[in-house]
Amino acid sequence: MSGWSSSADGLSPQRAIGLGPTVGQVEAGPLGEEVHAAHVVALLALPGMGPARLGRLLSRHGSAERAWQQVAAGVSEAVFGQLGRRGDPVALAAAWQAAAAGVDPRARWQAHRAAGVVVLAKGGYGYPDRLVGDLEPPELLFAQGDIGLLGHPTVALVGTRRASAYGLRLARSWGDALASAGVVVVSGLAAGIDAAAHQGALDGLERSGCTPGPVAVVGTGHDVCYPASSRALWRRVADVGLILSEAPLGTRPEPWRFPARNRIIAALADVVVVVESHERGGSLSTAEEAAARNRVVLAVPGSVYSPASVGTHRLIAEGAGVAVSIEDVLLALGSRRPGSTPQPLPPTAPLGDAVRSGAGPMAEQERNLLDALGWEPTTLDDLVLRTAWSLDTVCAVLNQLQRLNLVTQAGIWLTQRGD
Amino acid sequence: MVSLSIPGEAMLASISSSVLRGVDGVPVTVEVHVAGGLPAFTVVGLPDAACREARDRVRAAVLSSGLRWPQQRITVNLAPSGLPKAGSGLDLPMAIGVLVASGLLDSQRVADVAFLGELGLGGAVRPVAGIVPLVEALAERTVVVAPRCQAEASIVGRHCVRAAPTLAGVLAALEGSAPWAVGPSPLDRADSAAPISSGDLADVRGQPLARRAVEVAAAGGHHLFLVGPPGAGKTMLAQRLVGLLPLLEPSVALETTKIHSAAGERLPIGGLISWAPFRAPHHGASMAALVGGGSSWLRPGEISLASGGVLFLDELAEFTPAVLDALRQPLEEGRIRLARASGSVSFPARFLLVAASNPCPCGNAGTPQPCRCSVAIRRRYRRRLSAPLLDRFDLRLGVQRLDPERLTIGGPEESSEVVAARVAAARELARHRGVGANRDLAGALLERHAVLGSSGRALLTDALRQQRLTARGVDRVRRVARTLADLAGDAGAELRDEHLSLAMYLRAEPEALLGVEP
Ligand SMILES: [Zn+2]
Repeated sequence: MSGWSSSADGLSPQRAIGLGPTVGQVEAGPLGEEVHAAHVVALLALPGMGPARLGRLLSRHGSAERAWQQVAAGVSEAVFGQLGRRGDPVALAAAWQAAAAGVDPRARWQAHRAAGVVVLAKGGYGYPDRLVGDLEPPELLFAQGDIGLLGHPTVALVGTRRASAYGLRLARSWGDALASAGVVVVSGLAAGIDAAAHQGALDGLERSGCTPGPVAVVGTGHDVCYPASSRALWRRVADVGLILSEAPLGTRPEPWRFPARNRIIAALADVVVVVESHERGGSLSTAEEAAARNRVVLAVPGSVYSPASVGTHRLIAEGAGVAVSIEDVLLALGSRRPGSTPQPLPPTAPLGDAVRSGAGPMAEQERNLLDALGWEPTTLDDLVLRTAWSLDTVCAVLNQLQRLNLVTQAGIWLTQRGD
Repeated sequence: MVSLSIPGEAMLASISSSVLRGVDGVPVTVEVHVAGGLPAFTVVGLPDAACREARDRVRAAVLSSGLRWPQQRITVNLAPSGLPKAGSGLDLPMAIGVLVASGLLDSQRVADVAFLGELGLGGAVRPVAGIVPLVEALAERTVVVAPRCQAEASIVGRHCVRAAPTLAGVLAALEGSAPWAVGPSPLDRADSAAPISSGDLADVRGQPLARRAVEVAAAGGHHLFLVGPPGAGKTMLAQRLVGLLPLLEPSVALETTKIHSAAGERLPIGGLISWAPFRAPHHGASMAALVGGGSSWLRPGEISLASGGVLFLDELAEFTPAVLDALRQPLEEGRIRLARASGSVSFPARFLLVAASNPCPCGNAGTPQPCRCSVAIRRRYRRRLSAPLLDRFDLRLGVQRLDPERLTIGGPEESSEVVAARVAAARELARHRGVGANRDLAGALLERHAVLGSSGRALLTDALRQQRLTARGVDRVRRVARTLADLAGDAGAELRDEHLSLAMYLRAEPEALLGVEP
């Protein structure tokens, strides 16, 4: 946790708004902008309330507090014009009134503080600079973790939940390399590429202890971990990095929330790298939002046979930059932010040098096997076919390489360590 | 066997036969008492439904054979009375008993003769299941069976096996007025029961690790777990494995034959099963079909039918947890005990387990193709396979879908015949150590025959430290390394580094294979 959340308690009101009747008598409750925030929190918890509806509601009624009063009174005029072409305004007004009944915005707001979730209001203290001038800035952001991380250069590593082994490996290794170079990795904490990117950044942090933690922008409330299988990762990111959400506590995953979340990822990133995307993948919307904000969009090529690379290949065809190495990403970042020079990558392992340079016993065989292994995940069977050695010899030499940490194994896949 | 002619009206006959209990036969005496009184036919001695139906079949068979049915009070007692008796093999001895007790057949004709057979309503003598153990239980010199059972009954080799197609035929042959039926003579052991065509190992190309795993499994009796997407040739590998196993030892062959006989399975021509059986039950099969059971007649299940050979469980994760749990006892003891109200029965179940699984429900986890399953689904799939079960496998490896390009690389592979010779030699070495196969090496035997030198110790310690090997896996790796050395003709007790290395690659961690982070 950063020190920021505790200092937030001592905030002085920047915008004085009198406490309205719906809030009632308050002793140590929200002040000023916090009253505004408290009402936005309450409004955001209404069913189907997204950034667009909220924006229109606020501009129609002038203040969040007034908008809330109208909703709570069930005035259907309050939502007139809110719906676009879909939905029934009267039914929506009734649904909102029912949801608003008995809700105390102040209590909602304090529940977030109690849960360690900080509420950042547009224009208020701690609200990310990167979002201030955005096309569609969130009215509120709910934050857990170190808000100061957004001062570093940022790269969004995003991609499909249904990733291939290749994509997962690359996302994890690039997440690690970016963190090691002092870059903040931004992603969405979804399964697949997102999780691998976060995991990679955490790997880098755990190894060195001094690299920046990752930033995650999620589509649910802070208390609704989605997917549930990512709970441990989620907690770790909140501990050493930052998790942001546009949704208040208790917000369940809903399909429409993820594209909205993607625009925030795009807005927070200096460079967006799409690692893998299916033909109609959600990460393509992140790329579009990034392009709309003049961010650099890079795509990683994959196999033409892989459905998980169809979307990324289309991005390349449509003009996205090609990223085939971590240097491509750092270069794009450097040209984007002339002030920042990424730190050099960590040196290679000394034991690896010994084998690669041909010193020590068995080094000849070991080097030959490393050559046969190449830089793509490979099976033992492939190595036997490539070297034409006996299975016993391949295993003996390979085991030696694993003992030297030059080769790692995941399932049947053997990989040469590139660091 | 003996009939007593009581002066006056009552007559008693007692005829020898046997019934199945598990896969073993138990001698039974069929006592028939015919006395004056109202005509009746009762069977006592805990008969089951089949025995009660036997009354009607016996009466009809006697009448349609043109013989007289005594219009008297007939009581049949099946002794010993405490023994549950199932099956229809007692029809023939009952009918013979009635004929003797009513004076239609001289009791001397059935001295030292036992009878096994079901009767049709028209008088035909029909085969019964389990003839091998049934005959084995009999002490009589002569055994009369249905003609189709004659070869099977002759396997035991201690009896003069006779057969006739009908009850009238049996009667005539016993009286010496007609010859016995001529059955198929038992063939030579060597050309009996050719194995089911299981394909040659030479067809397995481009998968050197899997080829070796199959050879090691056959030589050391090590259980094998294959993980890979559909189309990776898992079934093909399992079928090749059974073709590498040596002919069954005579005692094992007889036991395996008894199990198949007791289960009513079709036996090969000549009767004796001398090749290692291959059983591949579907995961949809019932618990009784898989592990044995049944309501009245306790039939051996697939795991017993695989005894002496290979039990192949494809789609291991699809089997119910109850079935997977039931595998534990046979894997440890080589037998399965089934408890029933009528008492418990134990069947042999000493099989080489080959199991296969997809890495995840969509089959793509751990392959270059993207997996379509969520992490939660992959975890759930993984949880179906209990850790203690997966731990029983000395050999666990991932196999890949076969890339057609790979099939053409390299020279011709060794044939099953060549590999089987190495397997037989390795099994011989294990026998000299006092175990059936290296998978049974444990404790002092393992210390003596799978010695770790300083180099091997360092190798395993490094792997443990790098978490490539678990402490529980160490002994299994040593055992497999022993088998690898045996196959290489390396008689030294100290294990070589290359064999330890290879043994580790033959035992991957299941989490990695199933695409779940450990
Ligand atoms: Zn899958």
